[in-house]
Amino acid sequence: MTRRILHTLFVALAVALSGCMRWDYGIREEFNASPSGLFIVNEGNFQYGNATLSYYDPATRKVENEIFYRANAMRLGDVAQSMVIRNGVGWVVVNNSHVVFAIDVDTFREVGRITSLTSPRYIHFVSDEKAYITQIWDNRIFIVNPKRYEVVGTIECPNMAVESGSTEQMVQVGKYLYVNCWSYQNRILKIDTESDKVVEELVVGVQPTSLVVDCNNKLWTITDGGYTNSPYGHEPPALYCIDISGEKMTIEKQFRFAIGDSPSEIHINGAGDTLYWINDDVWSMSVTADSTPMSPFLESGGTIYYGLTIDPTSGDVYIADAIDYQQAGKVYRYSAAGEKIDEFYVGVIPGSFSWK
Amino acid sequence: MARRRYISLLVLLLGCVSAYAESDWISKGLHIPSVEVVGQRPMREVGEQRTKFDSVVLKENVALSMADVLAFNSSIFVKSYGRATLSTVSFRGTSPSHTQVTWNGMKINNPMLGMTDFSTIPAYFIDDATLLHGASSVSESGGGLGGAVRLTTKPTPKRGFGLQYVQGAGSFLTFDEFLRLTYATDRWQLSTRAVFSSSRNDFKYRNRDKKMNIYDDEMNIVGQYYPVERNKSGSFKDLHILQEAYYNTGKGSRVGLSAWYMNSNRELPMITADYGEDTEFDNRQREHTFRGVVSFDHIRRNWKIGAKGGYLYTWLAYDYKRDAGNGVMMSMTRSRSRVHTAYASVESEYHIDKRLFVEAKVSLHQHFVRSEDKNIILQDGDRAIVGYNTARAEFSAMVSARYRPHERVGIGATIREESYGRKWTLPIPALFFDATLSKRGNLLFKASATRNYRYPSLNDMYFLPGGNPNLRAEQGWSYDAGLSFSVGKSEVYKLSGSASWFDSYIDDWIIWLPTTKGFFSPRNVKRVHAYGVESEVLLSVRLARDWRFEGRATYSFTPSVNCGEKMSEADRSVGKQLPYVPRHSASATAKLSFRSWSLLYKWNYYSTRYTMSSNDYTLTGTLPPYFMNNIALEKSFSFRWADLSLKGAINNLFDEEYLSVLSRPMPGINFEIFVGITPKWEGFRRRK
Repeated sequence: MTRRILHTLFVALAVALSGCMRWDYGIREEFNASPSGLFIVNEGNFQYGNATLSYYDPATRKVENEIFYRANAMRLGDVAQSMVIRNGVGWVVVNNSHVVFAIDVDTFREVGRITSLTSPRYIHFVSDEKAYITQIWDNRIFIVNPKRYEVVGTIECPNMAVESGSTEQMVQVGKYLYVNCWSYQNRILKIDTESDKVVEELVVGVQPTSLVVDCNNKLWTITDGGYTNSPYGHEPPALYCIDISGEKMTIEKQFRFAIGDSPSEIHINGAGDTLYWINDDVWSMSVTADSTPMSPFLESGGTIYYGLTIDPTSGDVYIADAIDYQQAGKVYRYSAAGEKIDEFYVGVIPGSFSWK
Repeated sequence: MARRRYISLLVLLLGCVSAYAESDWISKGLHIPSVEVVGQRPMREVGEQRTKFDSVVLKENVALSMADVLAFNSSIFVKSYGRATLSTVSFRGTSPSHTQVTWNGMKINNPMLGMTDFSTIPAYFIDDATLLHGASSVSESGGGLGGAVRLTTKPTPKRGFGLQYVQGAGSFLTFDEFLRLTYATDRWQLSTRAVFSSSRNDFKYRNRDKKMNIYDDEMNIVGQYYPVERNKSGSFKDLHILQEAYYNTGKGSRVGLSAWYMNSNRELPMITADYGEDTEFDNRQREHTFRGVVSFDHIRRNWKIGAKGGYLYTWLAYDYKRDAGNGVMMSMTRSRSRVHTAYASVESEYHIDKRLFVEAKVSLHQHFVRSEDKNIILQDGDRAIVGYNTARAEFSAMVSARYRPHERVGIGATIREESYGRKWTLPIPALFFDATLSKRGNLLFKASATRNYRYPSLNDMYFLPGGNPNLRAEQGWSYDAGLSFSVGKSEVYKLSGSASWFDSYIDDWIIWLPTTKGFFSPRNVKRVHAYGVESEVLLSVRLARDWRFEGRATYSFTPSVNCGEKMSEADRSVGKQLPYVPRHSASATAKLSFRSWSLLYKWNYYSTRYTMSSNDYTLTGTLPPYFMNNIALEKSFSFRWADLSLKGAINNLFDEEYLSVLSRPMPGINFEIFVGITPKWEGFRRRK
């Protein structure tokens, strides 16, 4: 009897052993991307580590998803925030993975990475050997050497605590760099890229979300106005035009929205003469306009648009729909005249774009 | 397909050969109990779908949390973020916040989050655990759209002094200690329990989510490899102390006190795709929780009244810090929350005659919550805290009746009414029916139905930013029907089992979604159809003269489908399984005993879990199915002066690489040993 019991036990163990989980690892695909195209940065869900990168060829209208994973056999990481291309290298900022990946924009293979970051948001190149990386939850902008992939210094941002630190998008005019400070902030910082110091601040409205420069070297930012019951304040959001030609930055024009509106994602076309932004619908406006338009460029259709970009060559408008934020989002492509050209699914929460 | 056949085979195999006993006849050398007679089933259980766990299951291992026990012994889904990390449970394809949890009658779901972390409940502190599936939960609490978990402690049955001490040591510098002191007379029962668990928890694993680069002098990548990493930032220290005192008047009354204090200090492990160094970041959660319940019960032959009063306090701190580069850790996030809850309830039961039973219960939970999430500098330079401060009373009243018009037939009805703040849910009715189809084999048909409501948590309504005070209560219809049986022969074997079908619709499901302002906000969005089958087989058998076999096998089929409206034309989630809800899950435990030896095998299985609402199979977003196998061997020694036990356990026996949640590493094979001692005071005295 004892032998029979032990035999039964052995069989049960053998059956259990045979069912172990199987994984496929290490398979890398070869890519040879088109000379021009659009990278779509899909944030993924916070703490899921499911950020991805997609590539769209406007000429063939073909999209490839999860290209970073497929080319490198590893994850892009957790919450991919933004991407910038310089000299054939794409720099993908992955916020909650504390890393900036450098990839070959043709093969999508990694060529290097910058680590030792707090919570990176955006990267801007001052030169081939110097770049700035903005952070959230840190009152410092990191100075890095992209050739050595290493942090070489920091820029202290004034009047900003670590816990509520927030620096975001950067644009450069001449030797000065301009940064919008977003989360529980209300300022545009001006940084001298030679001394790596903040030399001036301009107070705008509550929480400027994004920043562009137009063909006349005017800065444009759009605030979200905060939220109901925020101790920092809740006010009508606004679009600001900032003159940076003088010694001091000054607000040249201000266009107010209704309180409760959520404008974000200010973008500009390749010519630098037409602004686009999201405020439920997608809106566009000439940089010389004296009032915001009465009707949108594109109605939202009941969904929440999450990302926006303008083809700098053709002027086509690309809008990202994150749908329910837990499935592959969709990108809609419209002509500058507002006619739909294409649509395609990408990754989870498509938030930003980069043009090759 | 082949894998499915394996699963079926294994479930069948374990269902057929496994054994289960309701009493601890390893240590006590007791008999296999005879089959219970259906007519003697408690009236309050008419038509109810329950799963009970006795002390044999709960006290199997001092290191186990209730999450571990439920994962291997029940059909409900345990979602674990890692070892000693958040673990939630959900019934029948619902979410963790749809599981109501009570401890000695007091609701212990976190009122801010709505859910319960089962990794912070040591199984050694629970003497009786019952799962109440679907409509059956209405007797215990409202809001259990999936079900409820009832946890209770009991007075010690042993007279005189008692002491038990268990010391455990395991892989990754894990140490577990358990001590229980008891003293009981005819009138008094006193018990003190303490558990202390600590671990560096830095298990090694091959991280296949990232690669390390090898550069040449020009900073060109010349090689890459998947690193073998340790689980970073995963250490924990948990202390629990439970004091109980019961006084029996001898005239039908009993007064009881249960007080449970927890002090937890846990690092939050880094995800696999994090390139930060654990020396540069400190990501930590600390918790102090006190739960105390005073109870009074007066029991007569056919009626009972009871009253309870309780207090719950939780202080929860979350800190995320970063080395500024000079060795000073600067705070990136400093979150604090305090919850005070006062609890009171009155209940009564009355057996009007053998056929009719009624009960009523009224309870009140008054919460006071202060949540501080972020410190900021205001526009004028002053400082402020982002958070909320609120109070909410949650009232619940229930009346219930059970009637057995015929020896073989029972019917029941329960109606519950609940309020939260100034809002009331609609009445929550539940209907129950059972009928004995055959006395031979105790073949019983059971059915129940309910319309239940779960009101939003405090974070759902008030969290800054994003709280939505206009949320509606989630509401669900739920039906189930099933068969159970029980056969056996005293001292030889006992076989019982059940299988039930369930079907439920949940409307206004609350989901937190990002907003265009960069934060999340909850909304009532989905309509979910959850249906399927739950089954369980229990068997205890005497195989030979000194051989015993006991076991339990469960299987659940739980499609949980989003059948709401599309959020936009592009939405592909409608008609799809909810993320992180497996369609199939199974578990089995088998314990083979030979004299003072026992061998315990535990196994569980979860099918593929999608992380995307569209159920896409992607390289970065699908969790493959996994099996988990644990084994333990125990030897007991009985001396005149003490009982000793020595136990060795192997977890993840086949060193499987698996994930319960995306990007959360899980340990491979690991080992634990336990030494237990229970002195016999009588033996000491005789030696003297």
